[in-house]
Amino acid sequence: MRFENKSVIITGGGGKIAKAYAMAFAKEGAKVSLPDIASADHVVKAIQDMGGTAISMKCDVSDEQSVKAMVDETAKQFGTVDVLINNAAYFMSVWKGPFWEMKVEEFDKAMAVNVRGSWLCAKAAVPHMQKQQKGKVVNISSNVALTGNPNYIHYVTSKGAIIAMTRAMARELGDWNICVNTVTPGFVVTEGRQVDPEYEKIRAQQRSIKRSQVETDLVGAVLFLSSPESDFMTGQLLNVDGGFQFVG
Amino acid sequence: MRFKDRSVIITGGGGKIGKAYALGFAKEGAKVALPDIASADHVVKAIRDMGGTAISMACDVSDEKSVKSMVDEVAKQFGGVDVLVNNAAYFMTVKKSPFWEMEVDEFDKAMAVNVRGSWLCAKAAFPHMKKQGKGKIINISSGTALNGGQNYIHYVTSKGALIAMTRAMAREVGDHNICVNTVCPGFVVTEGRQVDPAFNANRVANRALKRVQVENDLVGTVLFLASPESDFMTGQLLNVDGGAHFVG
Repeated sequence: MRFENKSVIITGGGGKIAKAYAMAFAKEGAKVSLPDIASADHVVKAIQDMGGTAISMKCDVSDEQSVKAMVDETAKQFGTVDVLINNAAYFMSVWKGPFWEMKVEEFDKAMAVNVRGSWLCAKAAVPHMQKQQKGKVVNISSNVALTGNPNYIHYVTSKGAIIAMTRAMARELGDWNICVNTVTPGFVVTEGRQVDPEYEKIRAQQRSIKRSQVETDLVGAVLFLSSPESDFMTGQLLNVDGGFQFVG
Repeated sequence: MRFKDRSVIITGGGGKIGKAYALGFAKEGAKVALPDIASADHVVKAIRDMGGTAISMACDVSDEKSVKSMVDEVAKQFGGVDVLVNNAAYFMTVKKSPFWEMEVDEFDKAMAVNVRGSWLCAKAAFPHMKKQGKGKIINISSGTALNGGQNYIHYVTSKGALIAMTRAMAREVGDHNICVNTVCPGFVVTEGRQVDPAFNANRVANRALKRVQVENDLVGTVLFLASPESDFMTGQLLNVDGGAHFVG
């Protein structure tokens, strides 16, 4: 029980990958807060059914007031904030096409949710961590920022921004023993996700571990970065993609 | 007890950092083998005193026969090899000088121990991991490979070689579910190590977490990479330096 009574926020908590994180934290004793612009009630139910503690609330991470209310509510119910997982992203429904045809509103939306949203959540959560002189922020980037995937320049750019933001946040928060790190997942075939089987086969072949990536493959790295085991790691990028991209 | 009855080899197991890893593994139930060119008997004793299982043997990692007999002995006594931590290095006694003044013998020694040694240990341990259809290899590199430490070109170069070797190994052994990763420690002030206080203060100031790095700071990351939590991470570099360098 590495996270007994720890207060953990996972933004975008209603999604499939977030659910994998949330279940794992709950199994290790954490109280889990699951803000989402859609509903995370099904995840709360799954956690409560196994005897754990979880709450959800509607939250638009790109909106400062909405984020502040969410963090305040979490701190009120759980006493504080120990861990923030910046997982919410504008991704599943992004417009795809060449960057020279992309509309400004579409570009701005990715930056607002993925970049400003991660910053706003950290901004609101950090005072609680500073009070305790410790804390963990895990920013979920994507390995598309490493590979430079074409046809969603806004998403790729936003995920690259998160890598740089992580480093600056790490330096700004070091004096309070708050660690900020990034995880870059590979292409995750979440349950029920429609993927081109031919292309997925190629993707698997390019990896060292030649299989599809699933949501539970990410859980260990996220929990590690939230635990005392990683207390001297900050500003770093953990690429979890089965050995496709190598960084540095 | 994440490593109950696991067979773990830590090369250079008699050193101070080797000892910290060994105690970390032993506390979680592992059977620990500690080959060293010097003696690791004091570490074996420390582990047995706390009720754990450990063995040591004289081994020159740069010598193929010596490595093969070491791994055979471990497999015989512990019934297999689950984890290999390539920690042995020619480091504490390196001759420092500008690269244009370095002798060939000195250069070759660093490459023989640090690079050839890590490859030989992996080469000998691989068949045991292959037989089980899984395994973990952790190559200990160094932050000097990222920042280009001065006046020991052989050491820095050897540690860079390990980063590349890790990636190629990861691709070659992925089909057997063997993960190969690198850890890059920052400058570790092991107990009793003499360091220039002014230089050390400067080093601390460059980190996000402004304190001296000690051997225990590395243990969590090495155990994470040896555990099932990192089963979809391979070929990666984990930099554990308190946030001095950011990679990628």
